[in-house]
Amino acid sequence: MAVEELTALEKCLGLKAGKYSRRAQGSSQVPVLQTNSGPSLAGLATIASHLVTQAKKEELLGVSLEEKAVVQQWLEYRTTRIDRLTSKEDVRTTLKDLNCYLEDKVYMAGNKITLADILTYYGLHPIIADLSIQEKENYMNVSRWFSHIQHSPGVRQHLPSVVFIKNRIYSNVH
Amino acid sequence: MKLYVSEGNPHGLKVLAAAGLWAHGVEIQRLQQDEKVVPFLSQAKLPALELNTGNYLFCANAICRYFTLAAGKEQGDLTNQWMEWEATELQPVISAVLYATIVQGKKTEESLAMVGKQLEHISQNLTKKPFLTGDAVSVADIVVWGAIFPLLAEMSTLLEDLSSLKNWFKKVSDLQPCQKAVESLFKGKGPSVFKAYLQKMPAPSATTDASACN
Repeated sequence: MAVEELTALEKCLGLKAGKYSRRAQGSSQVPVLQTNSGPSLAGLATIASHLVTQAKKEELLGVSLEEKAVVQQWLEYRTTRIDRLTSKEDVRTTLKDLNCYLEDKVYMAGNKITLADILTYYGLHPIIADLSIQEKENYMNVSRWFSHIQHSPGVRQHLPSVVFIKNRIYSNVH
Repeated sequence: MKLYVSEGNPHGLKVLAAAGLWAHGVEIQRLQQDEKVVPFLSQAKLPALELNTGNYLFCANAICRYFTLAAGKEQGDLTNQWMEWEATELQPVISAVLYATIVQGKKTEESLAMVGKQLEHISQNLTKKPFLTGDAVSVADIVVWGAIFPLLAEMSTLLEDLSSLKNWFKKVSDLQPCQKAVESLFKGKGPSVFKAYLQKMPAPSATTDASACN
C-alpha cells in the first residue's frame, strides 16, 4: 500500500519512479527507498518528504516554521494513528477530530496544499470511500476538504474518485 | 507560546529536554493528565504546545521539531527517518514494555527481550558517529533518548553488551537540560511515576512485534 502511494506521489511531483523494497515490521510493512545519492531511506513520511525535496517543491513541506512543524505532525498522525485504526470506534473518533480541526480550514497546514493534505488524503481514502452518504454529511468538513484535495491537479492518480453530494439530503442530525 | 505537560507522562521528557536545549523562552504549564487543552481533539492529549497564532501542536515529536526549527536548525532525511522510526517502531514497543513491567508487574527480563532488537538498531548506528545524525546532538537524539530513558534508567543492565548505545546514552543524559527534565518529571521516584498514566492507556497491542525479536 505505502509503496503504491509513494509511486503515486512521484507521478504527482513529476519524478521518475524510484526503486522500492519493503521491510516487515510486526504485522505491517515499512517502505524502503534506494536513493541515488547514498543510503536507503525507510518510512512513509521520511520518503515522502525526501521526494518533495528532490522535486524542488519544498513549499509542500510548509513555508513558515509553524507550517513545517504542523505538516510533520500530521504526517506522524498519519503513520501512528490513521494507519493503525483497529476498531469502528477509533475510526469515528479520528474522523470527528479531523472534522473539528478542519472546521475553519481549507488545508491542513497554512493556506496552500501541503504534503500533510496529500498523505492524509491517501491514508483516509479507503475509509472515506466506505462511508454512507449520511456519514459523509456528518463529517461535513472532512468531506469538503477531501473532495477539494482529490480534485487538486495530479493528486488522485490511480485512486477512484469518491462522490460527494453537494446538497444535504438528510435533515440535521441532533 | 505555552507548553503544557502533565505529571507522570513519559512523553513529557523529550519536550522538556528540547525546550531546555532550544527554546528558553517557552512558558511551561503543568496540568493533570486528563485536562483537555487541544480544542479539536476529543480526548485529552499532553504534552501540547499552544503557538502564538492560536494553533496547537499535540505530537511530542512535532513539538520538539518546532523548538529546533525555531532555533534555526534545518532537518534532513536522517533526522526525519529517526523521528519516524521512534514514533512508529520504537514507541509502541516501549509502551508495551512499560505497561508490562509497571502496570502488570511482569518479570523484567521477559519484557526487556521485546525491546532488544530496537536497542541494537540504535547501538549499531552509533558505532561510527557520536550522535544519531552526526557530530552534534540533534532533535533525533533527544526524541530517541526521551523514549528509552524510562526503561534504561532502572534497567541499565540492558546496556551491558551495547557499548556504543551506553556511551551515547550517558552523553545525552549528562546534558544539563536533559538532567533538569528528568528531575522535574521523575522527582527522584523512578519509572513508577508513570504508573497512573499507563493505567489509563489502553493495553498496548505491540505484542505482535515481540515474536520478531528473537
